[in-house]
Amino acid sequence: MDLVNFARGPALKAAFIFFFLGVAWRLINVLLLMHRRDLSEPRRSMASSLLGGLKAIGSRSWPHPEFIPRTGAGEALGYSYHIGLFLVILFFAPHVAFFGSFVGLHWPTLPNSVTTIISVITFTLLLAVLFRRVTHRVLRRLSNFDDYFSWFVVTLVIVTGLMATAHVGGPYPTVLGLHILSFDLLLVWFPLGKLMHAFYLFPTRAIDGYLLTRRGAPS
Amino acid sequence: MSRSDPQPTIGELLDRNGVSRRAFVKYCTAMASVLALPPLAGRAMAEQLRAARRPSVIYLSFQECTGCLESLTRSFAPTIESLLFNVISLDYDDTLMAAAGQQAEEARAQAMKANYGKYLLVVDGSVPTGEGGVYDCAAGRSALDILTDCARGAAAIVCVGTCSSFGGIPFANPNPTGARAVSDIIRDKPIVNVSGCPPIAEVITGTLLQYVTLGRVPELDAHLRPTVFFGNSIHDRCYRRPFYDRGQFAKSFDDEGARSGWCLYELGCKGPTTYNACATVKWNGGVSFPIESGHPCLGCAEPDFWDGGSFYSPIPTPRWGKAGEVRPAQAAELAVGAAVAGAVIGAGSVLLAGRRTRHLQGPEQDSHEKKEE
Amino acid sequence: MSTPAAELRASLAPEESAMESEQRLAGAMRGFAREVGALSALRLESCIHCGICAEACHFYVATEDPKYTPILKVEPFKQVFKREASAFAPIYRWLGLKRDISVAELEEWQHLLYESCNMCGRCSLICPMGIDVAALIEQARRGMFEAGLAPKELYEKAARQQRTGQPEETAEPYREKLLAIGRQFGVSIPLDAPQADVMLTVSRTDIEQYPKAVASLARVMAHLEVPCTFRSDGLIAENYGYYAGARDWQRDISRRLIDQAIACQAKVLIVPECGHAYSVLRWQAAELYGAPLPFEVRHITEYIAEALDGGRLKLRPADAGATAFHDPCMLVRKSGVMEAPRKIMRALGIVPNEMTHHVGFDYCCGGGGGVVDIERAAKLRYRAMENKLREIDDTMARTFLTSCSDCRRTFDDAKRHFDWEKTPQSLLELVADHLQEQAR
Repeated sequence: MDLVNFARGPALKAAFIFFFLGVAWRLINVLLLMHRRDLSEPRRSMASSLLGGLKAIGSRSWPHPEFIPRTGAGEALGYSYHIGLFLVILFFAPHVAFFGSFVGLHWPTLPNSVTTIISVITFTLLLAVLFRRVTHRVLRRLSNFDDYFSWFVVTLVIVTGLMATAHVGGPYPTVLGLHILSFDLLLVWFPLGKLMHAFYLFPTRAIDGYLLTRRGAPS
Repeated sequence: MSRSDPQPTIGELLDRNGVSRRAFVKYCTAMASVLALPPLAGRAMAEQLRAARRPSVIYLSFQECTGCLESLTRSFAPTIESLLFNVISLDYDDTLMAAAGQQAEEARAQAMKANYGKYLLVVDGSVPTGEGGVYDCAAGRSALDILTDCARGAAAIVCVGTCSSFGGIPFANPNPTGARAVSDIIRDKPIVNVSGCPPIAEVITGTLLQYVTLGRVPELDAHLRPTVFFGNSIHDRCYRRPFYDRGQFAKSFDDEGARSGWCLYELGCKGPTTYNACATVKWNGGVSFPIESGHPCLGCAEPDFWDGGSFYSPIPTPRWGKAGEVRPAQAAELAVGAAVAGAVIGAGSVLLAGRRTRHLQGPEQDSHEKKEE
Repeated sequence: MSTPAAELRASLAPEESAMESEQRLAGAMRGFAREVGALSALRLESCIHCGICAEACHFYVATEDPKYTPILKVEPFKQVFKREASAFAPIYRWLGLKRDISVAELEEWQHLLYESCNMCGRCSLICPMGIDVAALIEQARRGMFEAGLAPKELYEKAARQQRTGQPEETAEPYREKLLAIGRQFGVSIPLDAPQADVMLTVSRTDIEQYPKAVASLARVMAHLEVPCTFRSDGLIAENYGYYAGARDWQRDISRRLIDQAIACQAKVLIVPECGHAYSVLRWQAAELYGAPLPFEVRHITEYIAEALDGGRLKLRPADAGATAFHDPCMLVRKSGVMEAPRKIMRALGIVPNEMTHHVGFDYCCGGGGGVVDIERAAKLRYRAMENKLREIDDTMARTFLTSCSDCRRTFDDAKRHFDWEKTPQSLLELVADHLQEQAR
């Protein structure tokens, strides 16, 4: 079987299964651990606290004004490559065909020139983010294998994608096969590392918002 | 004229048949341009060919639909194809030759003997190997047997069509006859795969001509196809490429986009992963090719094009093995199943975690009471 | 020239010094394992190593030393969790992908967890993932305590408070000191009434250093004519068990107050000017006690604000001029007591010059979480305070108010050290000095 058919065939199927299995495993493991009942007298009603929790899911996306001078640049850098990734992943025509086939849906696409530009910018931002991680004193101290490997796996997908679109690095079907294979790797790595934050951020922000609102504290 | 007599040169044959030097040079120039050779090469090719003796060609047809031969003989300019028959000596072709039965087999045996080590073997159709090869027999011998026998004395083998090049349609799942490509069976001879289902006429003739002119096998890609014809993908030479780049796709066969001639990627066109000359040389003497006629490319010049998924699902559609490409219901089922399995494992790991943390906490006690005793 | 090992031994209480390495490790594992639950697991799993929490921490901002990154302070806890209780824990252990924590590491982390963190919650506010880092610090301290690594100043106070109700041994028991303050300031001290609507508690720092604040509490309550009482067996509001990370002692210390409140059938338990005393009683005591508390917990500023709202209290305007108010972290970020002090100031005719755009985001005083009690931590604390003092100076205020005695003590200490021009004053004392007699 050639590379493309392997990558989008058995490799993808296995990666797909492992992704859902791993994500569920990881989430359940956290959620089923012991819960402590909060017996304290709340400052706000349950309804208000729940609403505060839901609000926090969105509001934590951007720092409070007091913190922006120190964190604005870093946060903007992080968000911009996320936005770039989402735009390309969700609106490049072959991706729409790919993901659409899983859900039986179809949605509008962006022209290739636009997605290529966004991809190049995103790749540059990813390089900038890596540079920042290895030079910033706090990040250097904090970072571990997970941080670097997760970066690598994501960047590999975008690099192989750009290579396929530009027809460099070998015959197109081979590079396309590598691109799909790197996506398979991403699916497999997803539940194993910090990429899980895509799922965690919802319950963590919500619970934090709920608890803080319950106490009437700023969130 | 018996086969053992010294053969006339091609030039002598052309003169005998009233084909002027000028006409032949024109033909060779046209061929040279198709072969992407420089213009003056046409003249050199003409001189070389005239001086050459016609090589013997044995044409074997196995598990095939005869489409390749039909393509070869289909032409709007009969002179060119019949010219070709002057350039080669087609000593055996069970479809085209007048003789039949034992006479035909004997003619083949004689030609092979007389040109041993020098004749060109052309094969179309796949070779069935199941049940000892009974699925294709001629004159009481299996195709497998005939091929092995004829290959022994061949200078080179040209596989015409996807069936002989890669197994083609008989090779598709479940492959009941055990069909195989020629290159899977013969390992010790130079092989040229001219794939396509069928190949373009000029691609077949161009390859044969190239062999006769060069005296050896031309430059080949990883699938043993001549790069001069199979070096570019359809996508890279397709006239509808600007629509692909701009994101203008036909969504169904008779919608606005289709009628405007937009890209057929979303309708399943395999152009990006198919290498052939359809977009440049085109069919029927350069009239059109499938995409130009509004149908997505099937990828017929590639291995496994039949099993590679639906002709009408775009390339990125995942192929999940024997089940074909993924369907939403199937994907959802698999996702839910995997998630449930993951949740069960997660519950298990929670139990393990609970046991472990309890073990680490030791027997229940107020932590510092012991120290104060 | 003392070695790090000797320095560490000097920082510990004798019982803690005596512990063997093995015991320490087992203790840490025990303490951390006890803290593992859905909430801590979710928080520890959610960290994406973005490093943003460092930017909110005054210790990092002042020193630019990355080891003060808040989430890094709980690294031993995170390691233990990942190795022992996470989804892939058995696989991590089997393949040796996560190493065991070491005693050396724990000893190194003592400084980070106790001396470079006030548990002020600023990092929790900045975390984009919504991780309550300060809560993780509390939990990590519990593991450190079990490992016998709590600083002696906190350990010994916690131990004594758990045993006797007083964090320190004093020549005169606090009960007597309380009555003496009453006599000194001419205010009646209701003590050990068998029944009262409101039970009052007292801050040990106030008794020792700011007796006027104690008197002010009694004066305000007397003015409000509320049936209230102090209880000799449940006097002190602070909880050194909380500071030390001694979970069981924290519970026992809270228990003393709870039992006394139940004994006098109080409907409200008032916490005086102290930050953590309020947050510990209001948010943590019920869980440790095992049942909802049968009374309300109110900070004195909340109680006064409620009285103002209800028209039961009127205040005379105070001549404060430009005023800055420092919100104690435990009251504002941990407990949501934001409006109450401002209501009080408005009633006093004061409009404070706020330090930040929004209430609740200003820096910690640097003394919270027990840091002001630890001698070794002083040098670092002073460095971290520089930002805070600048923040206050930037408000151009003349008067500087707060409502936590430990914050007050910390600022007084800074005044001495930096020769700072401002003096922290108690909001409660200001209230007591400006009570308006009600028409009868």
